[in-house]
Parts: sequence; C-alpha cells; structure tokens
Amino acid sequence: MSIIDRQLEEMKKVIRDPILLVTIIAVIISLIIFTLWPIYEVLVEGFLAKDGTFTLKYYQDVFRQSENMRVLGNTLLLGFVVSLFSTAIGFLFAYADAFIKIRFKRLFNVIAILPIVSPPFALAMAFIMLFGQRGFVTYSLLGIKDANIYGFAGLATVQVLAFFPTAYLVLAGLLKQIDPSYEEAARNMGASRWHIFKTVILPLVTPGIANSFLLVFIQTVADFGNAMVIGGNYTTLAAKVYLQAMGNYDIKGGTALATLLLMISVLMFVVQKYWVGGRSYVTVTGKPSRQRELINDPIISWIVGVPCALISLFILVLYILIPYGSFVNLWGIDFTPTLKHYGYVLSLGLKPILDTTYLALLSMPITGIMGMVIAFLIVRKQFIGRGMIEFTSMLSMAIPGTVIGMGYILAYNDEPLVLTGTATIIVLSFLFRNMPVGIRAGVASLQQIDPAIEEAAQDLGANSFKVFTSVTIPLISSAFFSGLVYSFVRSMTAISAVIFLVSASYNLLTVAIMSQVDVGRLGVAAAYSTVLIVIVLAVTGILKLLLGRMGIKINMQ
Amino acid sequence: MLALKEKLTDRGDPLSIINNINSKSVAVKNLEKIYAGHNGKQVKAVDTVSLEIKPGEFMTLLGPSGCGKTTILRMIAGFETPTRGDIYIGSERVNSQTPDKRDTAMVFQSYALFPHLNIFENIAYGLKIKKLNKTVIKEKVEGILDLMGLNGMEGRAPNQLSGGQQQRIALARALVMEPSVLLFDEPLSNLDAKLRVYMRSEIRKIQQKIGITSIYVTHDQAEAMSMSDRVIVMNKGIVEQVGTPDEIYNKPASRFVADFIGVANILDAEVMAIAQKSITVKCMDHLFDVSTTLNLQAGDQIKIILRPEAVQIGEAGKIPVIVEESVFMGAYQDYKLVVNGQILMVIDYNPSQKTVFAVGDKAYLTINEANLHIVKG
Repeated sequence: MSIIDRQLEEMKKVIRDPILLVTIIAVIISLIIFTLWPIYEVLVEGFLAKDGTFTLKYYQDVFRQSENMRVLGNTLLLGFVVSLFSTAIGFLFAYADAFIKIRFKRLFNVIAILPIVSPPFALAMAFIMLFGQRGFVTYSLLGIKDANIYGFAGLATVQVLAFFPTAYLVLAGLLKQIDPSYEEAARNMGASRWHIFKTVILPLVTPGIANSFLLVFIQTVADFGNAMVIGGNYTTLAAKVYLQAMGNYDIKGGTALATLLLMISVLMFVVQKYWVGGRSYVTVTGKPSRQRELINDPIISWIVGVPCALISLFILVLYILIPYGSFVNLWGIDFTPTLKHYGYVLSLGLKPILDTTYLALLSMPITGIMGMVIAFLIVRKQFIGRGMIEFTSMLSMAIPGTVIGMGYILAYNDEPLVLTGTATIIVLSFLFRNMPVGIRAGVASLQQIDPAIEEAAQDLGANSFKVFTSVTIPLISSAFFSGLVYSFVRSMTAISAVIFLVSASYNLLTVAIMSQVDVGRLGVAAAYSTVLIVIVLAVTGILKLLLGRMGIKINMQ
Repeated sequence: MLALKEKLTDRGDPLSIINNINSKSVAVKNLEKIYAGHNGKQVKAVDTVSLEIKPGEFMTLLGPSGCGKTTILRMIAGFETPTRGDIYIGSERVNSQTPDKRDTAMVFQSYALFPHLNIFENIAYGLKIKKLNKTVIKEKVEGILDLMGLNGMEGRAPNQLSGGQQQRIALARALVMEPSVLLFDEPLSNLDAKLRVYMRSEIRKIQQKIGITSIYVTHDQAEAMSMSDRVIVMNKGIVEQVGTPDEIYNKPASRFVADFIGVANILDAEVMAIAQKSITVKCMDHLFDVSTTLNLQAGDQIKIILRPEAVQIGEAGKIPVIVEESVFMGAYQDYKLVVNGQILMVIDYNPSQKTVFAVGDKAYLTINEANLHIVKG
C-alpha cells in the first residue's frame, strides 16, 4: 500500500461525513488565502521588477548594501543576546517558582501577565521615562543633560524584561512536571543538592531551555514596537522593513528585507517545533505523583530569591510609571498633577480607542470558535491536509507581524480580493495572528479528554456538528474562553502587523500611541496606554467574573 | 444492586419500557483493516475476517490485547472504516454510514459518560436527538433508571457515582435508544472483581429478556464463558475459532485457543496408527485411542490438549509420575508433575478428603481418553 493509498484510506471516514468534509475544506481554503497567500506575495514581490518581469535586483540590493548587512547583524546579535539573558532569568524565576519556598511567588504571575496586557512597547516607554534625555533617573536625579538610552543597550534591556516571562512560563511548566521521586532516588543514592541539579534537573530541562531560547529569539527578532521606540540608530530588520516600505515608499526593497526576516523566524520555528520540540524527556500527561517538598534552605532562597525580587520590583515600577506619567504636566521637567493629557485624548482621539475596542471585540468570538474547530480537527480527525492545517495555523505565530502586515497589503490591494482600508482586513489579521494560542490551548485540553466521550455522542445519533457543539465545546470551554480572552487582549495590544493596515477610516490605539511617542508627547502616549490597559483589564475582568459564575476558569498563560 | 435484582425477578415485566427492539443480525464479510504504523510499516489489525451473528445472539469477541477484536467492534459501530470487506446490519450494507446513522449503541470501556451533563441528560442525550417529545423522554429515562435500580440519581453528575453505577448508566444510555445491536467494549474491565462477576450475570439477564443482538469484546475468558451464546477467539487479526463456550473449552481448534482459554497441558505426541473411529497416539510414552476430526497420518507429530482437572491422581493408575510441586489452594491441590520428561499440571479438587502428595513423591495418573483432544503441532 503506497503512501497515497494510506492517505485515501484515512479519508474514507471524512468523505462519508459531509459536515466534516465541508469544514475541513473551508479551514484549508481560509488558511491558504489568509496565511499562505500573503506570505507568497511577500516572497514573490521582491523578484518582480516594476514592469512585472523577473529580477534579482532587490534581493541583490539587500545583500549588497552595507546598511542592510548591518541591520541583519544587529538583528541576529540582539536576538542572541536577548534570548540568552531572557532564558537565564526565566530559568531563575522558574526554578524559584517550582523548587524554592519563597513568599512572593504570586508576583511572578503578575509579572508574566503584564507584557501580555500592555502595549508591546510599554516597557520601552517607561524606560525612556526613567533613563531618557528627560528621564527621571538620568535628568531629574543625576542631572545628566544628554543621556542617550536609544540603541542596543536600551533595546536589549527592554526586550529581556519583556520576553523573559515567556522563558519563565515554558520552564516553570517543565520543572513542575518533573516527578520529585527522581530527586529522591538521586538523594537516596547519596547525591548532594548541587549534584542533583547538575546531573538530574538540568539534563531533564535542557530541551526546554533550548525551546525557550528559540521562542524568545522568534519574539525578539519580530519585535517591532520596542525596536521603533527605543532602538534609535540600532535598526533591526522588523523596523527596517516598515521604514523601507512605508517610510521610503520602497515596497519592493521592503519585501526583500521581509523575506530575510521571515527566513530567520521560520527557520527558528521549524527548529523549535520539529527538532527541539520532540526531545522533551518530561512527560506532559497528567501531574506528577506527589507535590515536591520545597527547598527551605535560607542560603539557596536568598541566592535565587533576591534577584527575582529585584527584577520583579523593577518591572512593577516601570509599569506604574505609565499611568503616573499620564497624570503629570511635563515628564522630567514639571511633575505637577494634571488631567490635560486625558483632555487631549478625549477631545482629539477617541476614535482609535473605540475602533480598537470594537474590532477586538468583533474578532474575539470568530478567533475563539475557529481556534477550537482547528484544534478539534488536529487532535481528533485523520485526513489529507491535517499536517498542513496544523503547520500553517501554528506558523502564523512565528511569522513576524511586519511581514504579515506587508503581505496583507500586497495580497488584498488588487482584484480578486480588495480589502485594504476596511475593517475586515484588520479583523482578519487579528484572527489569523491570534488563533494559534487558542489552538494550542484547545489541543492541550482535548488531549486530556477521552475520545470515547465524543464517540459515545456520535454513537447516540449526533452528527459531527452536534457532537462539536454539544460535547466538544462544553468539555473544552475553559480553553475556548481562555482563547477568547487572549485573542481580545492581543488584538488590543497588537501593532506590528496592523500598522500596515490602519487607514483614515480605521485607526488603532497602539498606532496612535506610537505616533505620540514619535512626536515626543510622552504624556499623551502614557494617557492612551493607560486607557488601553484599563479597557483590557476591564473587559477581561468582566469576562472572568461572568465565566467564574458559570464555573469556568480561564488561564491567560 | 439488590434493587436491580428485585426489579428483574419480582415485577411482571420490568423491561416494558424497552418494547420496541428490533434485533438484527450482523455480518461481516472478508473484513480487513490495515493501519499505517510508525516507520511506514503496515499493521494488519484485522485480516480477512468473516462472521455472522444471528438476531438476538450474544456473541463475544475474545482475545489478547492487540488481536483486532476492538477494531472489529469499532468498524461495526462505524468509528473505523474497513480497508476491505463489507459490514451488514440486518440486510443493509452499512460501510458508508457514519456512526450516528447506524442503529447500534455502544457501552464503552471508560463508560464515556458526558461529564458536563447530569445523569438524566446523559441518558436523554440520544432521545433528544431523535426529537422525541419531552414527556416521552422523561418517561423513558425514569423507566430505565428504575430498571437499573438507580432512581433518584437523575440530578447527579457522573463523577458523583460509583464505578458500578456509572457502568449501569452507560448501559442504560445505550439500552434506552432501543438499538438493533448492542455493542460492548470491555465494559467491565474497570470494575472490581466481585462487581464484575455480578454485572456480567445482570447484563446477560437483561440481554436475554430483551433478546437484543449483542457483540461483546473482552480479554477476560470468564466473561466470555459465562455470558455468551457463542465466542469468537481471535489472535493477531485472525479468527482462531468460533464456537459455544463448551466447544472452545473442550474442543479448541488450535493450540492458541487451548492455551488462551483456561489452563491447558499441551503435550507432544505422535500418531501411531489410524483406525476407523479413532487414532492411536503415543504420548508420555503411553498409547491412547483418541477420536478427532482432523485428517492425520501415521507418523504425524501432533499436540494433545489435556485440562489439569481432567486427570485423576492417585496411589494406583496407569501412568507413574514424580511430584515436582504441590501447592494447597484451598478448593484444590495444585500439582506440577514430571512424566517421561514432560511437565504436566494437574489439579485435584477437595484435597482434604484425599491423599495429598508431597514434593518428590511418586504418584499415578488415570486419564480418560475422552478428555484428550488433538490439535495440529
């Protein structure tokens, strides 16, 4: 039996079930149109001359111009340094969380959630407020007149603070899964704590460390907001793509750079998913047999606890600066309390607030449902194209926003599908960029559920649609609603893709904040940011409350 | 449990709520299922199997794990599609029907009760899909709960019930659909030993009263023996034997069946002579006249199946043996004997009233030739 025969064999079940078949086809078509096509447009655009003939000119330019090579070098160096430090700090936090008896662990959760619920460049803004030319520390305290925080050091620090929570969450998950009986066995054979750490714990989480390094690398390379706000002359690829395409109106040069960026991200994604991803020793099924006896040794607690406490405190201070900055007259010069920035926001710029909230709410249910449908197909069904659905839908997590944003304007600017300037294009970008997290949550929770439960429903006469709505969705409701909330939050705080897609008719909050930062109106930017954070917290709070009443817990991580 | 027993014995017709069953036959013809295993190899889970199950019959698919029994059941239910072959329920070929369209109801090994629905909603699930009206549904659910001795449990969540209760809800949920065929996928394997024994007789009683065609998958030979009209013994995707419990125990068709069902001595033997009604075989250095349906010739190397309880051990007899192990098991004495270089397991019931041999003792065996059964070597 050849491979094709085997696949046809698997298709038998699908073909006799029309609802399932139509759903699969619809999902595949939508992924092709809204994920693969834009990427294809980006790849191809750079090979076509203005008159439509084939050319290598733009790609040659990318590698010929020393400026571009410098940008590439910048990007890789930054990715490497940030991933290294983020993974190290993330591991410290994870170790403290999983192994050590310390009191302020709840704070870790807050620290891990803050980067998700705030604009992507919030830390960069706060950093400028502290260490910039008019920074509270540099100017007000130390009296330095020409402090320059823009550049590698500032950007790298901000990114480490923004992205180490990713590493922390990955590693804490793994460390908590390790069965304490391994350590007890080692200790029973006479190993010291340090020896156990070196010979048992570390080898067990090595794949996890590699994994989180790569995940942070992907995030860093794709990070647009911080790079624009605090990167200064240290230009990275993500920023350069935008500057080239939208600043210099050189779309083709921009796409060539975007291709380069895409290659890096996809390479890292493939390595992460298929090489490192499959190497974990730690089983993810179920919980370890017992709770771990936490380390109570004061020396270890101090060595690990103090750095964690200091970093957490620093991050909290940075985030508090944003609302604080929105209430003072002129940051760095005049700290008199005022509401004038909010007045400005109300009089001039209510539109981006309303647009953003409206579009984020609109895309929320679509993202949630589609995420669960795809998770269901991936986990429960065998069919030709399943691998493609899984890969493509998760891929959009790895594609830098600037690349996808560019792809969307290239793909949907002309016939057959003209979407530029519409709300649809923004909602679609929210949908396909935020879906992977919901899919992952759905996949994880479906894998915990006995497939016989869904089979029982079908056996009792429910068709595929009925099984999905009456059994699958209620059983994974927690993942479903987590996906909903996450999608809303991410839509509110997205910038890298949508900055290409906003128009006079639809402007978004993050884009508005960035332009305020750009012109130096930090107070207004801080006010907008505060409003954004308040909306995010309010909506998620209300959802959490409502769902809590229904007995559903949501998990933001 | 008691309640259930009373319901089945005391009331006039306790099964009156299930009055609409139209039991159908099930047939599979040249059924084959090939899986694409890892590393690209194919696994033949089911290899050209043909079966016929009569209306109202209780048929058990018995075999070790991985023998293909569950795959066959799942193909009949519609969860798996055959690679080749046909499946008929009644006279209708159902290959192209999805499980929801087939008139079968399954009791799952894990029970598969819907955790987000209460007991009433669980049992009513399929009835609602049938779009029965609410009062009928209520009547049926209450009736079946009454039958199962679980009245008053309507509002509970599945996880508030014991394993045995969940098991009965799963059965109720399937029965209430009044299917043409009832399918059981190792339904008792998660219960403790005593409850398992109890449930198997309850399931059998209900099945016989209703007369519903039932296909039951298990690896537990005691379940197969005690419940079935007929048993299909499977191994590595093929059918080794189809027969009544008596036939598969006493006339196993193969060495595998003999070994899998109960305990069997499988002894080397040689065909010495062929007579009209029986053949003469040499086994344990003795000659026996054994009847067989196999077509054999003098000089053939064969195996003789001899059950441990079909041998008498005593101080006098035809065959001398040395006792190698002797274990008191309460109801019986368990012997491991050496006879002519071969090991023979023998059990002797009610040992306290008999001579008990110790390790190293010499003893004698008496074997009734009717208890010897030949399979091919």
